Amino acid sequence: MNRLHPVGKLLVCVFYILVVTSFDKYALDKLILMAVFPIFGFVVGELSIKEGLYRMRLILPLVLFVGIFNPFFDRNVLFSIGEGTAHEIAVTGGVISMLTLMLKGFYAVLSAYILIATTSIEEICYGLRAIHVPKIIVIVIMLIYRYFGLMGNEANRIMTAYMLRAPKQKGIHYRAWGSLVGQWLLRSMDRASAVYESMTLRGFNGDFRVKRKGVNPIDVLYPAAWILMFVFIRYIY
Amino acid sequence: MHTGINGEVLKIEDLHFSYEKGEEVLCGVNLTAKDGESIGIIGANGIGKSTLMKLLVGLRLDYTGTLEVAGHPVNKENLNHIREHIGYVFQDSDSQLFLSTVEEDVAFGPQNYGLSDEEVERRVSEALEKVHMTELRKRHNYNLSGGEKKLASIATILSMEPDIIIMDEPSIALDPRNRRNLIGILNEIKALKIVTSHDLDFILDTCERVVLLDEGRILADGDAKEILRDKELLESHGLELPLSLSRG
Repeated sequence: MNRLHPVGKLLVCVFYILVVTSFDKYALDKLILMAVFPIFGFVVGELSIKEGLYRMRLILPLVLFVGIFNPFFDRNVLFSIGEGTAHEIAVTGGVISMLTLMLKGFYAVLSAYILIATTSIEEICYGLRAIHVPKIIVIVIMLIYRYFGLMGNEANRIMTAYMLRAPKQKGIHYRAWGSLVGQWLLRSMDRASAVYESMTLRGFNGDFRVKRKGVNPIDVLYPAAWILMFVFIRYIY
Repeated sequence: MHTGINGEVLKIEDLHFSYEKGEEVLCGVNLTAKDGESIGIIGANGIGKSTLMKLLVGLRLDYTGTLEVAGHPVNKENLNHIREHIGYVFQDSDSQLFLSTVEEDVAFGPQNYGLSDEEVERRVSEALEKVHMTELRKRHNYNLSGGEKKLASIATILSMEPDIIIMDEPSIALDPRNRRNLIGILNEIKALKIVTSHDLDFILDTCERVVLLDEGRILADGDAKEILRDKELLESHGLELPLSLSRG
């Protein structure tokens, strides 16, 4: 999956998110079927579900929180489970719409994760340019990615240095927050400036140039097959 | 390559620079260098070595005096042209390597100069071969050791085939084997090399000429072995004899 052309992978990801988000709020059955793509991505891309969930731990609660109030607003009973028995449970439209909203968000995050895990940022940016996303947007995405990584590294260094000198302490003492955040920002800015200098010294002037990639039959078949599958689930099934 | 009237690739005359008004870091530096020379810039901490290097590549343009690279004054108009001729290896390799893999990083410069894919590939292969990293070309930068990162940084510059290579403390944090390896690689490079370092043994092994900077001025400029043997001169400017010479 890593070797597939980035444009194909990008198109599949974007199309998948568009199709998933376009489902009706009660179309839970069809949405469950759309799980086929993330399952395929994790299996064929040899991605670890555990690691994937760990990496998405910050965004998933937010995604799953969406629609949590729907059961309170939409109390229209759609069907009942165990009808006629003592344990009959009425399923309201609010519950179904909450689940569909959660699934939509979950799928969107999963598909983006699959794209990122199987494609480098440079390839993704190449793909974005190939589908005519404006250069300035692509460059901003790439620089944000680079600088975020760099800020993460600096935060890690500062945290390690702090922890090694405060072994008995849990977390960072509130008195140190201000100076640590200040140091972190200053050091990140210095590093970001150095990276930018390194880019400009090697001819970067705002233009985006990457090596053109050859297209194999599988690079066309892959997006075509998935797009047909999504259309089938969305409109024909 | 264009040179000055006397064949100089680099010409510095009465160069002055200050970060803050009234506190000159460089005050009247004069230096010329010819193609193929290897020059070591030495001096204590904070005397302006790195500043001088940054001025040479046009990272700061607010200097006064003359600064010419490959026959062109270092100014805003000539920056692109100058940077095609001059490569700068940062002290911190992590700042130099910002792409995912070694191969992508080494290709970054040639790609930015609009070279064909075939030419980029040739340069990447040659640069990696020169630093003995051909087998690591697909490796993620994140997974490289300190020594490998330094060599990859040098390869990112070699792929641009510059006429002048500037290195800021290249031997810092290298173990003896990587350091020896780096010395061998640098000695094979034919371009004009300017190396700043506190590691005077490294300078002795890689440079024929040494320039001693202190208080923003050049205090000595000459044969590396002569200057690096001058204990009195070195000690009076915060340096010490190289270990290999101090053992007698």
